[in-house]
Amino acid sequence: MSINGVGYRNAYLNYSTLNIKRQMDTLLNQLSSGKVSDTYAGQGVDRGFAVSLRAQLSLYEAFASTATNVNTRISVANLSLQGVDDISTQLRAAANNTDLTVNIYGQTNGQVNARGAFEDALALLNTQAGGRYLFSGRATDTPPTVSADVIFNGDGAKAGLNQLINERRQADVGASGLGRVTIAMPTTTSITLSEDVPGSVFGMKLSGVNSNLSGATVIGPPTSPQPISIDFGTTNPQNGEKITIAFTLPDGTIENITLTATTDNPPPPNSFDIGADSAETAANFNDKLTGAVRDLANTKLVAASAMQASEEFFGSVPPMRVDGPPFDTATALRAGTPDDSVIWYTGEDAGDSARGTATVKVDNSISVSYGARANEDAIRLQLQTFAVYAAVTAPATDPNARGQLAALNDRVALALAPKTGSQSIQNIQADFAGAQLAVKAAGDRHTQAKAMAQSMLDKIEGVNQEEVVAKFLALQTSLTASFQVTSMLAQNTLTRYI
Amino acid sequence: MSLSQALFSAMSGLRANQSAMSLLSSNIANTETPGYVRKTVNQVATSNGGIGSGVLVVGVNRELDQYVQGQLRVEMAGASYANTKAAFLDSLQGIYGNPGSAGTIEASFNNFIAALQGLSTSSDSASARIAAVNSAQILAQQLSASSQDIQTLRSNADSAINDSVMIANNAMKQIADINGQLRRGGASDGATAELLDQRDRYIDQLAQLMDIKVVANEGNQVTVFTSSGVQLVGTQAAVLTFNSAGTVAPDAQWDPDPAKSSLSSITIQYPNTSTIDLVASHAIRSGKIAALLELRDNTLVQAQAQLDQLAAMMASALSDKTMAGTPVSTGTQDGFDVDLAGMLSGNIVHLTFTDGANQKQNISIIRVDDPSVLPLPNSATNDPNDRVIGIDFSGDVIAQLTAALGSEGLEFSISGSTLSILNAAGGPAVVNGASVTTTVSTLTNGDVQLPLFTDGGRPYSGAFTANGPQQLGLAARIMVNPAIVNDPGLMVIYNTSPLTPSGDTERPDFILKQLTSGLYTYSPATGIGSNSAPFKGTLLTYTQQMMSMQGDAAMSAMQLATGQNVVLNALQQKMEATAGVDIDREMAHLLALQNAYAANARVMASIKDMYDMLMRVV
Repeated sequence: MSINGVGYRNAYLNYSTLNIKRQMDTLLNQLSSGKVSDTYAGQGVDRGFAVSLRAQLSLYEAFASTATNVNTRISVANLSLQGVDDISTQLRAAANNTDLTVNIYGQTNGQVNARGAFEDALALLNTQAGGRYLFSGRATDTPPTVSADVIFNGDGAKAGLNQLINERRQADVGASGLGRVTIAMPTTTSITLSEDVPGSVFGMKLSGVNSNLSGATVIGPPTSPQPISIDFGTTNPQNGEKITIAFTLPDGTIENITLTATTDNPPPPNSFDIGADSAETAANFNDKLTGAVRDLANTKLVAASAMQASEEFFGSVPPMRVDGPPFDTATALRAGTPDDSVIWYTGEDAGDSARGTATVKVDNSISVSYGARANEDAIRLQLQTFAVYAAVTAPATDPNARGQLAALNDRVALALAPKTGSQSIQNIQADFAGAQLAVKAAGDRHTQAKAMAQSMLDKIEGVNQEEVVAKFLALQTSLTASFQVTSMLAQNTLTRYI
Repeated sequence: MSLSQALFSAMSGLRANQSAMSLLSSNIANTETPGYVRKTVNQVATSNGGIGSGVLVVGVNRELDQYVQGQLRVEMAGASYANTKAAFLDSLQGIYGNPGSAGTIEASFNNFIAALQGLSTSSDSASARIAAVNSAQILAQQLSASSQDIQTLRSNADSAINDSVMIANNAMKQIADINGQLRRGGASDGATAELLDQRDRYIDQLAQLMDIKVVANEGNQVTVFTSSGVQLVGTQAAVLTFNSAGTVAPDAQWDPDPAKSSLSSITIQYPNTSTIDLVASHAIRSGKIAALLELRDNTLVQAQAQLDQLAAMMASALSDKTMAGTPVSTGTQDGFDVDLAGMLSGNIVHLTFTDGANQKQNISIIRVDDPSVLPLPNSATNDPNDRVIGIDFSGDVIAQLTAALGSEGLEFSISGSTLSILNAAGGPAVVNGASVTTTVSTLTNGDVQLPLFTDGGRPYSGAFTANGPQQLGLAARIMVNPAIVNDPGLMVIYNTSPLTPSGDTERPDFILKQLTSGLYTYSPATGIGSNSAPFKGTLLTYTQQMMSMQGDAAMSAMQLATGQNVVLNALQQKMEATAGVDIDREMAHLLALQNAYAANARVMASIKDMYDMLMRVV
């Protein structure tokens, strides 16, 4: 610290002119950078506000990037869902087709298409958006399903859908081919129908009997539990009188067998001849009933069994399987293990809402959920129906082939038809649309808020060019004047005149 | 003989003229010499014994307005204080960077938040994970670089104090020396005037360094005091002592107790060996040294504390996990069980109870591993409404708790790691609740909390040690957990069994929530908020306050400096008007002197003529 080599007078002159020059430098900086200052101090009292505005702007940028990402993902997922829905519509049309021409592999044209459609559906669900699987829940790095081949044919020791359908078919139809129903004649005039093992989950369940056969005593569900007993007594039924027996099939459908007493000979289909006495009638009835039950067990039961097998394969993790071998006498299901059964869904499933598996903030206070799982009911039902449609085969040589495939067609068409009260693909799409709407609304708001924040920030950070130039000119004038006057005063000294 | 008398008078006139000329020429020569005071001759008429009188130069006058000089010195100290402070705060602004550019703390923070938002959107993306970790590292580096810069400024202030002290010592010694010389001289001749000028220059030097008071004594002597009354120069100069620290770290702090202080004080030593600590006694209140001391020990310490607070809040917001206690009842006693397992030094058990006077009390029981820091002050937590009890966990916890709270009607027992807090049987106290906050130090044990920001690799738990709180200087040591740097996937994966799915955004969402909308209470030591009403807000609002405050401080320091300079300049002009050399005035005086000289010479010529005439007659 030393006193500089100038006197007070010069120091003062320097101070004022330097001050002006410093101000001009600042203005020049402002002019070239467009910013009022390059320090927090220079930004004035609103500097704290500017900090929060910049944070806000940065956050809007981040939200915008999130919105772009999320929109892309939702759009891709939507396309996949639309694809699955389109396939569903096509297959439904095919299943409604009454043409049951069977090819050499034992499948109709509709079924052949179903195989390709199933593979398409899997490919759609396995679509990635930016390296992210959209139908795997939280496991976004894992494809949601195994390949179609593994699903149908299994993988090494792991059983696939075909094997499960086959096992279930054995268990449902039973060794006797009567759908695990036993028909007996305890007396010459009476017939009983019973489930072979009460409580068994397989085969046809006796769910009702209804008769107007005069003289016959009919006991059975729903008024009393199975078995069903039909005793013709001592009198014959009248011509045209009927008995209807209802069977519940494994997929929950109910099929009726109605036999009408007739005097025509030979009797028309679904009729039995009234014999000379009630014992003969009973024998005729027994004969026809056994044929009808066998027929039902080998056609519709097979289709229903396949539907149920597909439900068990797709609907539970790990799949539920027939507790066997032997399968044709099995009475219960067992849970498969990951080692002996294919688990088709490989994504994450914590049992919570699928939408909640991908949740992101698109605004400080708004989160959107757009996660999805391939095993959500709506998607799974479509898949399991496509799969069973594609999996079932009925050799053309089998006399029951047409019956099986017709029953399958009915069931597939029904399963693919829109149903109220359960989740549909449209429901998922509606969720996605809602999410997209929220993203867009937030984005629109951000665009507005961003413009306002930016203009506020410009007011704090920026300078008015005209104002700066005007100030600059004023300072320049004042500096020139100050120099000039100083110089005049300096010359105006007595020294010059003596 | 009146002719010879006349001749004598004319001669004395010429002599006086010559003296005046010599002073005038020296005035003109020193027009631009700083500290030069205009001199005029002090002349008196002398009787020649008869009619008429001669002139005698009896001394030299210094044209000095001592009142203005005194005022000028006060303002010099003020201006020097303000300028020093403004210059340092301007440098500090440089550390905070150009707002709106990439190199600021707020920009790093904003980028980190944006990266987290990206991670929350695409938690499965490796690049999003890496981007989040990278931006966390940049934020940590930004904090630590800013701390380093602040410490460099402190270190600069420290060495500037050292320089100032040396200059002050020299000035004081010179003043004392000149005092001595003047005592011997005593006459008011030109040499004395020069010495006085010189002494004034040294006093001015000293006035810029500290606020001083100058008392003039007889015989041109001065005594210099600080304005607080500590004598600096009398007949002898005192000596100031200061030891520069070289480099300054955040934990190096000045303390009135020399044993605890790691930065030097300024002590003054008198020739009679008594010493005074000028810093502890607040003897220096203005001038450059006062500004430097304030910067080193307050302003910059506070700037560091602000960064430390931000670092500490970021670290603990992400790693702190609070578990509520479980209610228990034993007989007639009710209370809560809290699990002390996992508590690190600095972690807190929060306890609320209603005492016998029906007053609700909040207690923070802090784990301490170093008994030397006990007892902890209430300011150990930022909560103004709690009572802090530090408990040495290496000692008998129950005994310490009972000693602190037993009289309030509480009973403590411990089994395994479970601490039971019960009200005493039949007592009036009611335990309302208890919880424990622990620092999560593992990454994948199922907690979404994570030690993302660490204290040089160790978890930050807010421990108190003999070296000070862990928070002190944390901003300089903060770094992103090396395990996360090695495996950015840990930003998402919080559990290994079962493995967190890659699309699970629970952890990124937690981090984002804590950093953007978590509300925290900040220490009044940051200068933001007060002891009774501490500032509470998000990290963003805190950063906002911090930048606002620093910007404002720098701006007001600059305005103060500008104002001081204007006052100083006005006084300097006033001083100039009286003590300075005005060429015009000197020139006018020169004409007058020339005339007077010519007139005197004319008188002498006339006297000579008269003598000649007389001689011819004789």
